[in-house]
Amino acid sequence: MKALTANRLSDGDVVFWNAGQWVERFGDAQLFDDDQAEAAEAALAAGKAQPLAAVDVYLIDVAPVEGGLAPVSYRERIRALGPTNEPTHGKQAEGGAVVEALRHASGAARSTGRVDLIRRK
Amino acid sequence: MYRYDALDREFLTDRSNEFRHQVARRLSGELTEDQFKPLRLMNGLYLQLHAYMLRVAVPYGSLNARQVRRLAWIARTYDKGYGHMTTRQNIQFHWIKLRDVPDILDALAEVDLHAMQTSGNCIRNVTADPYAGATAEEVDDPRVWSEAIRQWSTLHPEFSYLPRKFKFAVTAAKTDRAAVKVHDVGLILHRAPDGALGFEVIVGGGQGRTPYVGPTIKQHLPASRLMSYLEAVLRVYNRHGRRDNIYKARIKILVAALGAEEFARQVEAEWAQIDSPSADLPDTELARIRAAFTPMAFETLPARSETFELAKGVSSSLARFARNNVKPHKQPGYAIVEVSLKAIGQTPGDATADQMDLIADLAERYSLDDVRVTHAQNLVLPHVKLDDLPAVHAALAQAGLATANIDLASDIIACPGLDYCALANARAIPIAQDIAAKFADPDHAERVGELKIKISGCINACGHHHVGHIGILGVDKKGEEFYQLSLGGSGAEDASLGKILGPALPADKVADAIDTLVEAYLKVRDGDERFLDTYRRVGLEPFKEAVYAHADQA
Repeated sequence: MKALTANRLSDGDVVFWNAGQWVERFGDAQLFDDDQAEAAEAALAAGKAQPLAAVDVYLIDVAPVEGGLAPVSYRERIRALGPTNEPTHGKQAEGGAVVEALRHASGAARSTGRVDLIRRK
Repeated sequence: MYRYDALDREFLTDRSNEFRHQVARRLSGELTEDQFKPLRLMNGLYLQLHAYMLRVAVPYGSLNARQVRRLAWIARTYDKGYGHMTTRQNIQFHWIKLRDVPDILDALAEVDLHAMQTSGNCIRNVTADPYAGATAEEVDDPRVWSEAIRQWSTLHPEFSYLPRKFKFAVTAAKTDRAAVKVHDVGLILHRAPDGALGFEVIVGGGQGRTPYVGPTIKQHLPASRLMSYLEAVLRVYNRHGRRDNIYKARIKILVAALGAEEFARQVEAEWAQIDSPSADLPDTELARIRAAFTPMAFETLPARSETFELAKGVSSSLARFARNNVKPHKQPGYAIVEVSLKAIGQTPGDATADQMDLIADLAERYSLDDVRVTHAQNLVLPHVKLDDLPAVHAALAQAGLATANIDLASDIIACPGLDYCALANARAIPIAQDIAAKFADPDHAERVGELKIKISGCINACGHHHVGHIGILGVDKKGEEFYQLSLGGSGAEDASLGKILGPALPADKVADAIDTLVEAYLKVRDGDERFLDTYRRVGLEPFKEAVYAHADQA
C-alpha cells in the first residue's frame, strides 16, 4: 500500500495527497493498494505538477499495524508524527487514534530482543 | 565585540531585501524550486523533515545581550519557543515558515546578525575558542583574526562556488576548544621564539564520511601574511578540488591525495604569485578590527573572593558547579562560567526563549554584555566576577541552567538526528537522553570524570562522533536504527580519530553499552586517568570484550 507525501512550499509542513489536494494529517491521506500502482503514479505526477503547493513529492510505503496503518519506514513515521523528543510538537500534538497507531508502530519497529545481533567479530 | 558600522549595516539590509524578493519570486512561481534552493541555502535556510530550518550565524560563537534577546524573540514569535546550538557555534531554528523568513532576516539584521554562508559550498561561519578574550592561555585574541577572515570571506567572489563547503577554526591557546585539527583549515596563533605573532596552519582535517586529523602545512606563517596565504590555499583547492564527486570534494581529499608536502608546495608556489600588498590585510584595517576587541573594563580585584569561598562552603551545589563549570580567567577576581545546555533529560544544545532571555540579563548584569556559544553546544558567560558567582549560579539554577557537568559523561554532543534532519539515518537526541540518565547521579558523573560522548545521526558527522572519547554513529539497518560505537577519538589538542568497537547495537542497547564501557574503564583506570588516556594505554580489546562477551552468552 502507498501514500503520497511532500512538504508544503510556504511553511514546509508535511502534507499528504488526497484526491487532488494536499492535506495535513496522515489519517486523511489517500491510500493506493498494491494493484493501484498506476493511480499512485498518476497522483505523483499530479502532485509534482503543483510546484507552488508542495515540494519534494514522493510515494511512501504504508502497512497495517495494530490499531490502524502506518508508514513502513521510521523516517516517514517521524514525519507523520513530529519529533520524538518533543511529544507536543508537530502533528502528534493533536493526539487521537491515528497518532496512537503511528506511535505504536514506532515501538513495534524498534529492535528489541534481538541480542543475537550483537556478536563478537 | 565587533561593532557594525554604517557600511556593514547597509550591506545586511541590502542582502535581506534581496532575499525578500527571491522568496516572493519563489512563492509567485517566477523561480522554480531548483532555481531557488541554492539561493535559500546561501541564506542558511534548509527544508528539513517537519518545516524549514534557519541556521543563524554566530561569528566565532560571540553574542551580546541584545542579540541573545532578539534570538529569544525569534524563537517565540516564529518558532516553538526554543533554539538549538550547533557544533559550529551557530544557533538554528527548526520550525520556520518560508513566508516568515524575510521578516526574520530583517529582525536579525537590526541587531547585526544574519544567516549568510551558514550553508552552501562557500566559506562557512568561522569558529573560534569560546574563551577568547578571557583565557590567560591565549597569545592574542583569536576573534580579531576570525573577524578578519569573516569579512574577507563574506560574499568573496572567487570563493562563493567552491567544490564543497569550507570551514575555518581559530584558536590562540594551547588547549584546543575549537577542534582546529578537524577543520578544512585550522589556525593556531602562537608566538615564535623571537616574539613574532604567527599561525600554525593546518589544512585538510575533517570529519564526515572520510575523517582526517589535518596535517600542518606551515609551522609559522607571519600573522600579517594571513590573507594572502589563505587565498593561496583556497585557490589551489578551487582549482584542483574534485567537483565530479560530492563525496570527494572536500579539501581533505585533495590534501590526502597529493600528500601534505606536495599540497604545501603548490600553496607556496601560488602564494609567490599573489600580489601580497593588495591581498594582505592593511595594518590600518587590522587596527580597526582590533579596536573592536579592546580589553574589557575589568575592575582591579583580589584573586580570591571571600564571598565566593564562603558561599561554596555552605552550598555543595555551588561547590560542584565551581568544580565543573567555572574556569580560570586571565583577570584576577574574574571567572569564565560555562552554562550547560545538557540538563539530564534535555535535548542537547536546546535553549528555550525564556532561558535565552535570562542569559541575556545575566550577561548584561554580570558578564560585560558578552555571551559565547561553544562547539560542545553549551553557552559561556566569559567575564563573571568571583564575587558574583553565587548570584549567577542561583539564577541559572532557577532556570534549569546550572547542571554541573561540563566535559562529563552527560555533557553529550548530539546532532538533531532523525527527529528533525532530512539527511539523518537514525535519531541522536533520544540516545543522548538515555545515556545522560545513566549519569544523572552527579557524584557518579564526577567520579568517572572527563568523558566526551558525541553522537551523529548519519555519516556527515555533525555530532562529531569521530572525535568523541566515545563516538556513536546512527546507521539504518534494514529500516531500523542501529548505532556503531567507536572509542579513542579526540577533537582537542591531542586530536585523534576513534576506532570502531564492533558491530552496531540496537537503540535500546546503547546506553547499557556505555555503562558497560565506563565500568570496564573504572576497573582498569590508573589513578585519576581520563577515559581517553586509559583507552590509549590499554587499547580496544578490554572494552570490546566487556560489551560483546555478554551477547555471546545470550
